[in-house]
Amino acid sequence: MEDNSYQLIIAYFEKTISDEELTELHEWLELHPNHQEQFRETMQILEASKSYFKKADEIEPTSWKLISAHIQKEEKGNIVNVGRKIHWLAYAASILIIGSMSLWWYKHASYKESTAVEYTEIINPEGQQSKILLPDSSVIYLAGGSKIKYRKNFSGNKRSVSLNGEAFFDVKHHRRPFVIQSGEISTVVLGTSFNIKAFASDHKVTVTVNSGKVGVMNTIEGKSHLVKYLTPNEQIEINTITGLYAFDATEATDVSSWIKNHFVFYDVPIHEVMSSLEHRYGVRIEFIDSGIGNARVTAKFKNMPLNNVMDELMVLSGLTYTKKNGNIYIYRANQKGGKTMN
Amino acid sequence: MQNEEPGMYLKLTDEELTDLLRKNDSVALETLFNRYYKPLCHFCAVYTKDYEAAEEIIADLFIKIWDGRSDSSILNIKNYLFTSARNLSINYNQKKKDPVDSIEDISFQNHIFEDTHTPFRILSGTESVSKILRLIDKLPERQREILLMSRIDQVDKRKISEVLGISIRTVETTLYQSIKELRRMLKDSTNLTSRG
Repeated sequence: MEDNSYQLIIAYFEKTISDEELTELHEWLELHPNHQEQFRETMQILEASKSYFKKADEIEPTSWKLISAHIQKEEKGNIVNVGRKIHWLAYAASILIIGSMSLWWYKHASYKESTAVEYTEIINPEGQQSKILLPDSSVIYLAGGSKIKYRKNFSGNKRSVSLNGEAFFDVKHHRRPFVIQSGEISTVVLGTSFNIKAFASDHKVTVTVNSGKVGVMNTIEGKSHLVKYLTPNEQIEINTITGLYAFDATEATDVSSWIKNHFVFYDVPIHEVMSSLEHRYGVRIEFIDSGIGNARVTAKFKNMPLNNVMDELMVLSGLTYTKKNGNIYIYRANQKGGKTMN
Repeated sequence: MQNEEPGMYLKLTDEELTDLLRKNDSVALETLFNRYYKPLCHFCAVYTKDYEAAEEIIADLFIKIWDGRSDSSILNIKNYLFTSARNLSINYNQKKKDPVDSIEDISFQNHIFEDTHTPFRILSGTESVSKILRLIDKLPERQREILLMSRIDQVDKRKISEVLGISIRTVETTLYQSIKELRRMLKDSTNLTSRG
């Protein structure tokens, strides 16, 4: 009977055929040349039907991000409209940020804390930069005088890094969120590149986005609050003592130019410039006269030795400096004993 | 109660995961998602013929399941998922009804004849898979539905019979009919080309 033969061929195709059925199939194939044709064509049809979905298989599923965002949003109240009204695929194609992921992460992390967790810690002394490849293929450029720490089994459920200092992150896109903890401020992304400057001693965290979208969160009384979402060339500066923040547009590649040994300062107080130089060149720089650190400068340096950088900055700011025991002391220009300007 | 390792979730049955889901466990939802996402999208695509639309439908479905988790009376999550996937896809098709579809159909028809005309293709048989794929979309709807569904991982005769509300026997005979019909269509198209 024809139906029975189809049943055998399908079982054969699906590799669920029993030994008896296989014998039966062989016998049936011998019976008539038409049977072989039926067998061949049926196999072809089954094969082709399966490939009806082949092309679709190549599409990377992005839906979980959307669902996960929904779950987080609900747990947290309405922080932000994650945009289901907007065509969500467009969203998923760019980078989707998950609201209260850090809170969620805390909850889960606390279970693990009791069992001994091994951490990898990387500390750069002043004057030394390094490039770090994380287990998920994300890349971190760590500035001088900076420190990161992450769990050794990074490839677990969430990707989390704690940072004290400055670093540029190029995060490999993945649906496991990548969380950077700098004190109470956490930065949550799925895959983007951005710069974080968060020296604990500055009492200030600055996040600047190069690509993608980044969520910046503040923890207040143990609860995580979204401060702001940033898109490319946006920058946020949070005072970690008052919690106040300033938000601004900026040239992100300038901010992260330090990774290429370039420095770009655009209307930056000179005391901040000096603190960057301290980290980069491993020197101590001190302002001797009061009130001179707030002069603002705009300057660009590419791979220049410290002396040249200092000389130029002095011209720009109308200040002067001396060097003693490798330390740098900055004065008003009219002060006696200062270095003459070039 | 939280399970420590996500790996543990993989060993849980659908029923256990559904229980955890009722207790607000989002990892349970993610596990179900990973288990059924792809077959569900394929299942949807049988109707929508558009994989991106299918993905969107399934994402919405999982969001609905999360939202309704506390008062859910779902007994068999797998059945629920596939049945909902089918209903949502059909709704989707009705909503965006039909002008685009029919235009596509006409162009499909033209393709069948254009492509098979080249002697090289007829001889080498390299066109056969794409030809079969085009002909699948010409099958009577029920036959097409069952032929494609029966090729999806995680979906067996029993699942199809449950979702479509027909007997396993009917699923089987419809599947055989679909193959017979396709073979007939293949022969027809070959005869047509060799004649003309």
